[in-house]
Amino acid sequence: MQPHRLVLILLVALVGVAGAQLPGEYKPRVSPEEAFKFFDTDGNGTLSEEEFSKVKDYSPYFRAHPEAIDPVFKKLDLKGDGQLTFEEYREVYNLGKRAQAANATPQPNPAPKPETAHVEPAKPPVPTASSPTSATPNADGLAFFEKKIRPVLTDKCYKCHSADSEKIKGGLVLDTRQGIRRGGDTAPAVVPGDVAGSLLAEALRYTNKDLQMPPEKSGGKLPDSVIADFEQWIKMGAPDPREATAAVAVSKPSWDMEKAKSHWAFKAPQAQKPPAVRDASWPRLDIDRFLLAALEAKDLKPVPDADRAVLLRRLYFDLTGLPPTPAQLDAFLADTSPNAVEKVVDELLASPRFGETWGRHWLDVARFAESSGRDVNATEPHAWRYRDYVIAALNADKPYDEFIREQIAGDLLPAKDDRERAQHLIATGFLAVGSINLTERNPRQFALDLADEQIDTVSQAVLGLTVACARCHDHKFDPIPQRDYYAMAGIFLSTDTRYGTAPLFENGHPGKEIPLPADAGVPVPSRKLSAEQRATLEGNLARAKAFYDRSFGVGTPPIGNDIKRRVVALGSSARIGQLQKELDSYDAEGNQKPMAVGVLDLPAERAASPVGPPRNYAEGLARFQARAVIFSAVGDSPLFVRGDAAKPANTVPRGFLTVLGATGPAQIPAGESGRRELADWLVARDNPLTARVFINRVWHWLFGRGLVESVNNFGTTGTTPTNTALLDYLARRFEDEGWSVKKLIREIVLSRSYQLSSVYDEKGFTADPENALVWRHSPRRLEAEAIRDGMLAVSGALQLEPPVGSAVALAGDGALGGRQIPSMRHPFSEELFVDAPGNFRSVYLPVVRNALPDALSAFDFAEPNTVGGNRDATNVPVQALYLLNSEFVTAQAQHFAERLLALPPQQRVAQAFQLAFSRPPTATEEAAARALFDGYPTRDEKAAWTSFCRALFGCAEFRILD
Amino acid sequence: MNTPSALFSRRDALRSLSCGFGYLAFAALASRASAAAATSPLAPRAPQFPAKAKRVIFLCMRGAPSHVDTFDYKPKLKADSGAPGRAPGSKLLGSQWRFAQYGQSGRWVSELLPNVAKHSDELCMIHSMQTDLPAHPQAYLMLHTGNSQFVRPSLGAWTLYGLGTANENLPGFVTIAPTTINGGAQNYGSAFLPAIYQGTRIGTDTRPVAGARVRDIAPANPAEVQRREIDFMQALNREKLARDQVQPQVEGVIESFELAFRMQSEMPRVMDFSQETPDTLKAYGIAGSEPTNDMGRKCLLARRMIEAGVRFVEVTQADWDHHFNISKALPESCLSVDQPIAALLTDLKQRGLLQDTLVVWSGEFGRTPHAQGADGRDHNNKGFTAWMAGGGVKGGFTYGATDDYGYEAVENKMHIHDLHATMLHLLGLNHEKLTYRYAGRDFRLTDVKGVVAKDIIA
Repeated sequence: MQPHRLVLILLVALVGVAGAQLPGEYKPRVSPEEAFKFFDTDGNGTLSEEEFSKVKDYSPYFRAHPEAIDPVFKKLDLKGDGQLTFEEYREVYNLGKRAQAANATPQPNPAPKPETAHVEPAKPPVPTASSPTSATPNADGLAFFEKKIRPVLTDKCYKCHSADSEKIKGGLVLDTRQGIRRGGDTAPAVVPGDVAGSLLAEALRYTNKDLQMPPEKSGGKLPDSVIADFEQWIKMGAPDPREATAAVAVSKPSWDMEKAKSHWAFKAPQAQKPPAVRDASWPRLDIDRFLLAALEAKDLKPVPDADRAVLLRRLYFDLTGLPPTPAQLDAFLADTSPNAVEKVVDELLASPRFGETWGRHWLDVARFAESSGRDVNATEPHAWRYRDYVIAALNADKPYDEFIREQIAGDLLPAKDDRERAQHLIATGFLAVGSINLTERNPRQFALDLADEQIDTVSQAVLGLTVACARCHDHKFDPIPQRDYYAMAGIFLSTDTRYGTAPLFENGHPGKEIPLPADAGVPVPSRKLSAEQRATLEGNLARAKAFYDRSFGVGTPPIGNDIKRRVVALGSSARIGQLQKELDSYDAEGNQKPMAVGVLDLPAERAASPVGPPRNYAEGLARFQARAVIFSAVGDSPLFVRGDAAKPANTVPRGFLTVLGATGPAQIPAGESGRRELADWLVARDNPLTARVFINRVWHWLFGRGLVESVNNFGTTGTTPTNTALLDYLARRFEDEGWSVKKLIREIVLSRSYQLSSVYDEKGFTADPENALVWRHSPRRLEAEAIRDGMLAVSGALQLEPPVGSAVALAGDGALGGRQIPSMRHPFSEELFVDAPGNFRSVYLPVVRNALPDALSAFDFAEPNTVGGNRDATNVPVQALYLLNSEFVTAQAQHFAERLLALPPQQRVAQAFQLAFSRPPTATEEAAARALFDGYPTRDEKAAWTSFCRALFGCAEFRILD
Repeated sequence: MNTPSALFSRRDALRSLSCGFGYLAFAALASRASAAAATSPLAPRAPQFPAKAKRVIFLCMRGAPSHVDTFDYKPKLKADSGAPGRAPGSKLLGSQWRFAQYGQSGRWVSELLPNVAKHSDELCMIHSMQTDLPAHPQAYLMLHTGNSQFVRPSLGAWTLYGLGTANENLPGFVTIAPTTINGGAQNYGSAFLPAIYQGTRIGTDTRPVAGARVRDIAPANPAEVQRREIDFMQALNREKLARDQVQPQVEGVIESFELAFRMQSEMPRVMDFSQETPDTLKAYGIAGSEPTNDMGRKCLLARRMIEAGVRFVEVTQADWDHHFNISKALPESCLSVDQPIAALLTDLKQRGLLQDTLVVWSGEFGRTPHAQGADGRDHNNKGFTAWMAGGGVKGGFTYGATDDYGYEAVENKMHIHDLHATMLHLLGLNHEKLTYRYAGRDFRLTDVKGVVAKDIIA
C-alpha cells in the first residue's frame, strides 16, 4: 500500500469524514471547514454545544474561561436551535478582538476518538411540591398568579395542555403546579426564578421557530405586556397555589392503554379445563382433548397414528437432531411394552445430544454469533462460552425462569461458589453477542444503539413484543409508550456490555471481556502461547512502545496538526493495545485465561470528563475505550425526543412495561442497573407473555408451526392463536411444573397429537392445508444442522466429543470487514469460517456474522442479526448443488460407501436404507439401485457406491421428516 | 390452457396423472424427450393477452431513497426550508442538491443522478407511490409479496408461475444480492406456489457481489456419473411422492436437482464477464476500486441473465436509510448506482432488449420532507417515487404527484398493489385472473386490490 493512501485511510478513520473530499495535501493551518469537521464528531453537519465545547481542549482562552463557552455558543447560534451550522460556526472567527485573542482556531491533535460528551446537558433540577420556592408562596405572589397568570393559562393553554385535553400536546399539562414545573416531553416549562431556563417564557416570546405558543390558530403571540407578566411571575419564583397532582407529562397515545390491554396476549393465561370431545376414546393426554375439540368443531378427524419406525425417527431428530441407528430402531421395534415410547423419550431427553439440539434452538432466538457483524465485523473469541452455557443449561433442565434470570442478570445473582459464579457471568453473554456497529463515531449514539439492540432482543425473545419500535415515538400498534422504552433503556444504559473485541484501528469501541475466576473449572481452548511466541509478542510490544515514546513521548515535539504524525500515533496506540490484549489473554504457563463476554453493572459514579489531549498511549487507549460520559454510570436515561441522541429530554425513571402491569418506577437498589429486577419481572407469574411465548416456541420446534404462528410477535399485529385454551393450559402447567423445559417437551411428544402420521388426507388438507389445527403431523424439512449431522452420523464420521472453543476462539482477535490494513492487524478471510473443518456436531461450527458455514447457510440457517426462532425451509437448486458438488458431501458419501463396502454385498443396500431412512428398501428402490450399479460408467466399485450414497443424501426423504 | 391457474392446479394434475408434475419434469429429462417439456412448470407460456414486456429487471433500493432529493423536484420545499413540518416540532428540509431539467420531457432530476437523468425520455416516473406502513420489514415485504402480514408468494414467483421461463437451464427467477433482513428469503420465496418458482439467490446485499456465485456450481463428477446419481435419487423421490400423494416439498426437491444439473453448465457461462469488452465494463463502472463497481457488476449480471432468458431478475442495493448524515450518505448511495443503472438502460437499448424488458426502480417507501435530527429524513409511506422504463411503458411520461412538499401523493395515487397490478398487466397477465387455489380459495398477488395504471402504458 502506498504510504499516502494509508495516511488518507487513517485520516478518514480518525476524523470521521469517510467519503468526503479529503485535502489533497497537508495544509499547515487548519481551515475553518476542517476545524468544523473535526469538532463535528457525529458527522451530522452541525455542532451541538457538547461538540463545540471541545474547543476548551485546544484553546488556551477557553481552557482558562470554560464559563465563556456557553455564551459564545449561544451568540453564534443565530437560529437558536442548539446546533451550529458551518455558517454560524464560521462567525467565531469574526467575533471581535476578544474572541480572536482566544484563538478559537482549533489545533486538531492525535487524540484517538475524542470524547464528545464532555459537557452534560444543563438539567435544572425539577422542583418538587416541597421545594421552598413553591411551599411558601407569599400572598402577593399568589394574588399575582390568580390575577395575571391563571386566566391566561385557562383561556389560552388548557385546551391542549390540561389533564382534560382530548390529546395532551407534547406531554405537557399546565393545569397543575406539578405539571407546569415538570414540563412536557422536552424540559421543564417553568423553572422558578429562572426566566432563561423556562421553556414557557421562551415559547411565549415566539423567538424560537420551533417553539411558539399559543399557536396561530389559538390567537397567536400574546401581547408583550402579558409575556412580561409571565416573566415577572417566574422571577418571583412562580408562586402557584394549585395542589392537584395530575398524571403529568404523559402524552396521550393513539391507542387507549386500558382498551389495548384487552388484546388476548396482554391478559393473564386463564386456568383451562380440557374440553369435552365427541370421540372420548381418542385423546391420550389433555393436550389431545384441546386439539381434538377444535378439530371436531370443524368436523375434522385426526389421521391415524404414525408407524412406529417413523415415530422413532421423528423423536430422534426432534429431541437429539440425529437419526436412530439401525440397532436403536430394532431395539425399539422389539420392545412391545406399553411404555416403550416413554422409555425412549426419557432416554433421549437425558442424552447430551438433547442440549446440543435444543440449545441451538435457543441460540437462534438469542441471535448468537461470535463476531460483531456490520462493517468491521470483529471476532469475539470468547463468545463460544455462552453457546456452551446454553447447551449445558438445556441438558441440566435448568428451569426456564432461572435460565432467563441468569442470562439477563447473572452477574447480579448470588452464587454458591466460583464455578457457579463463572456460569452466571457467562450466561450474561446473551446481552453481549448481538451485532454491534463498532464504527459509530458518536459515543452517545453508540451507547443508545447498543441498548436498543438489547431491548429489541430481550423483548422479542422473552416477551414476543417489538418494544424497540417505541424508541422514537410511542409504538404505532402496541400499547408501548416511548416512556416505557426509555424506562427499559435506562436499565441497559446502566450496563457495561463486554463484548470483547480487540482495539483494532477501525474499531472505535473496543470491548473488554469479563475475567472468570481462575478456579471455576471452565475449559480453555488448546491454543497456547509458546515461550517463543511470547518473546516475539513482547519484543513487538516493546518496540511499539519504544516507537511511541520516541515519536510522541515526553520530550518530543507536540504532535500538533501534522496529519502523518496524528495517524501514526493513533495506529501505534491501537497496535500497542492489540499486542497488550493478546499477551494479557495468556497466563504465565501460556494457557489462555478463562474469560467471557457478557455484562456487568456500570459504576455508581460517572467518569470524569477527560481534559486535554491524552499524554501517552495508555491514556489514549483508555479514552479510546471510554463510554459517553452521560452513560458512564448507573442511572436513569433521558427520553430522547424522536430517538435523536442530540435531544435528551426529561429523565425517565427505570422501569418496565405499563401494558404488562408495571406501575411506576421499578424498585432498584441504589447503585445497581435494575437488570435483576427486570429479570424477576419478566419471569414473574403475573407476566402474561413469558411462559406463553416460550411454550409457543417449543410447539413451533416440534410441529413446524406455533400455536401462534408469529413466534416473535404476540402484539396486536401478530397472528392470533389457533388454540388459545391449549396455549393457556400449557402456560399454567409450565409454571406449575417449575418451568421445566424437559417436562414440557416430554408431555407434548407423548401426546397422541404429536404422534400422528404425516399422511395426506383430502378432507383435512382442503379444510386446513397449513395444518394449523393438527389433523396430522406436518412433514417438516430438517434444519440445516440435522441434515449435516445426519450425514455425519450415517457415514460414521460423526465425532460426538464436543470441541473446546470454536474456530473463532482458535483464530483469536481480528476482523473480517472494514478497511483491510494488513500492517495494522491480520484480517481474516471468510473461508476460515465458511469452510471451517471438523466432523463434530454443527452446533459447534463457528457462527461469524456474514460468514456463516456453507453447510448451514445453504439450508436456511438462522440469520444471527435478528431474533430467530422461525427459520425458512426451502428446497431450491443451490441445495441440490451443495449435495451434488460440495467437498463435505463428497467426503461423507465416501465414508458411507466404505462403511457399506465392509459388509457382505447382499446386505449393503438394505443396511444403507436402514442407516439413512430407518427402513428397508422397497422392491422398486432395490431395482433402481441395481440399475445404478449395472450401468455405472466405471468399474471402480468405491466410486459407484459413493454415487449411491450421495444420492441417498440428496433424496427428499433424507431431509424431510415425516 | 392459457391461464396458468387452469394448468397448474396441483391437485388436478395429481388426479389425472397419479403423480406430481415433478415426475413429469423428471421423466422428460430422463428420457431426454424435449417434447414433454411443454408440461414442465417452468416451460414458457403465452401471456393471457398480448403484451410488450417479456421479462423484468427490478432494481430494488433497500432502505427507502429520499424522493425529494432524487426525482421528485420540490421547489416550494426548498423555499420553505426551515418552516415547521408536519411532524410536531419538525422543520422542513429543502433538498440541498440542485435539480435541472433533462431531455425533451424536461424532466427535473437531482444533480446526484446525472447519468440516469440522461435517460429522462425513457423513464416513466411515478411520483404518487404509497404503501401501508412506514416500517422497513413490513413495507419491504409489501413491495415484494403484496402482503406484510402473511407469508405470500413474491412478485418474481408469481411472474414465473404466470409465464414460465425461456431458458430451462437457468433459474427463471434470480435475485442478485438480496437482503437477509426484512423477511429475508420470504422476499423471493414461493410460499404456497410450487417451490420451483422461488428465486435463486446470488450473494447477499451485505457483501460485494464480485465473489458471489451460485454455490457449488462446479460439478464434482462427470456429467454421465452425475446423471446416474440423479436418476437413482429421482426414482426414490418418485416413490416417496407416490406414497405421500401431496407433498410439495418432495416436488421441490425433484425440481431442484434437475435445475441444478442444468445450471452447472449454464450459470458459469452467464456469470463470466470475460467476453465483455473493456468499454462495456467501463460503461458500467466496473473497476476494482470504483464506488460503482458493485452495482455495475450487479447490473451487467442482470443484463446477461435477461439476455440468457431469465424471466425475472431482481437487483438489490442497500444503504438508502438516511435517518442521519444524509448530506454525505445520500450522494454516496446515488453515486454507487447512477452510472451502472444508466449503463444498463443504454446497454439494453443498444441490444434491442429494452423494448420488451420492463425495468422497475423503487424502494420500499420514501422519506419525509422534514428533517429528522439536523441532517436526515424519516420514513414516509404516503408519497414516494418509483420509475419504470422499457417494456411497454410511456417514456418521458410522469404519472401522479405529491403535494408541494412531497409529503403525500395527491394525484393518481399508486399503491404497491397498483404497482403490482400494472407490472403484471405490462407482462400480459391480468392480476385478477392470475390466481392459485390454496386453502380453499383463489389467491392473487394483489389480494382483493390493485388497479392497473393504464395511463402509463404506451
